[in-house]
Amino acid sequence: MGLPYEGIKREVISLRDEATCEDYGVYPDRRNIKQKLDLGFILLDKPSGIRSKTSAFIAKRILSPLNVSKIGYSGTLV
Amino acid sequence: MTGLLPLSLNRANKAIALLLLGGKEYIALMHVHKEFDEEHLKKQMLEFVGKINQLPPVRSNVKRQYRERTVYYLDILEVDGRDVLFRVGVESGTYIRKLIHDMGEKIGVGAHMVELRRTKVANLTEDDSLSTLQNLEDAVYFYEKEGDEKPLNKVVQNIEKAVDFLPKVWISDFAVDTVCKGAPVAVPGVVKFNPFKIDEWVLIYTLKGEIVAIGKAAIDSSSLKDIEKGIVIRTDSVIMRPGVYPEYHRAQQ
Repeated sequence: MGLPYEGIKREVISLRDEATCEDYGVYPDRRNIKQKLDLGFILLDKPSGIRSKTSAFIAKRILSPLNVSKIGYSGTLV
Repeated sequence: MTGLLPLSLNRANKAIALLLLGGKEYIALMHVHKEFDEEHLKKQMLEFVGKINQLPPVRSNVKRQYRERTVYYLDILEVDGRDVLFRVGVESGTYIRKLIHDMGEKIGVGAHMVELRRTKVANLTEDDSLSTLQNLEDAVYFYEKEGDEKPLNKVVQNIEKAVDFLPKVWISDFAVDTVCKGAPVAVPGVVKFNPFKIDEWVLIYTLKGEIVAIGKAAIDSSSLKDIEKGIVIRTDSVIMRPGVYPEYHRAQQ
């Protein structure tokens, strides 16, 4: 009894051994805050009394000085 | 109505719709309009577990026609007078207010929703650094005024964590930039993978674990070991910007 993907464990199948070059990209847990803001998500605890859209709008306004220009949300909680 | 509302920032916006593939869990408070027999009510409510047909409410953003949705589970937590508190796991796009209304009809006494809290979205729960708008505002303040990025680092999480429940393919450094430009993932680019089925949504990752794009499987992963070329994943939306990894010819030097 649970949600469809809850606690899912997936097998990893390797086709070959290959290293990644450290000169490019950045491991997600080593992203600086600017990189994180560009590829981030916030798990918001929506307050009661305002719509999801309004919550997203307020979050966008709070984050706008940090160059966050787009905010999306998943699923409407009216 | 309160609870989990995942927000995606800037480039992460392209991935957030994937959360609709996972289910949602709510805790709801239902108020029943007349006296009822508790055993009858419980029995009728549990009849809703499984496939249901639901007509979206008048005030909704979708076409008003019956839609099939799945109720995965339902636990009645407390019955107090005419108030019934329950936990319910549902498919995305299930309206709980409507579900409660329909339950009221089925019980035969009428009911409406008093309170609703979303407690899970796909694999995200209330334990995954849930933040309020106030937390966010404070975190931005500390970062801007005091140069302390710790609170903001706690509120803002990597998008990979939100979509982690889906299968992934990890691609070679040389293949990253072409995928960033919208090209599909071809067999030589795949280094490792989680098993996936044809047409399934798959996350395309670098070997460092960064999300590059999302796409749909063009083949079943079981055939990957036997082929040397061809398309594996058709890229749908690109998240990483081009130029983070070198272009193919330069990487080959």
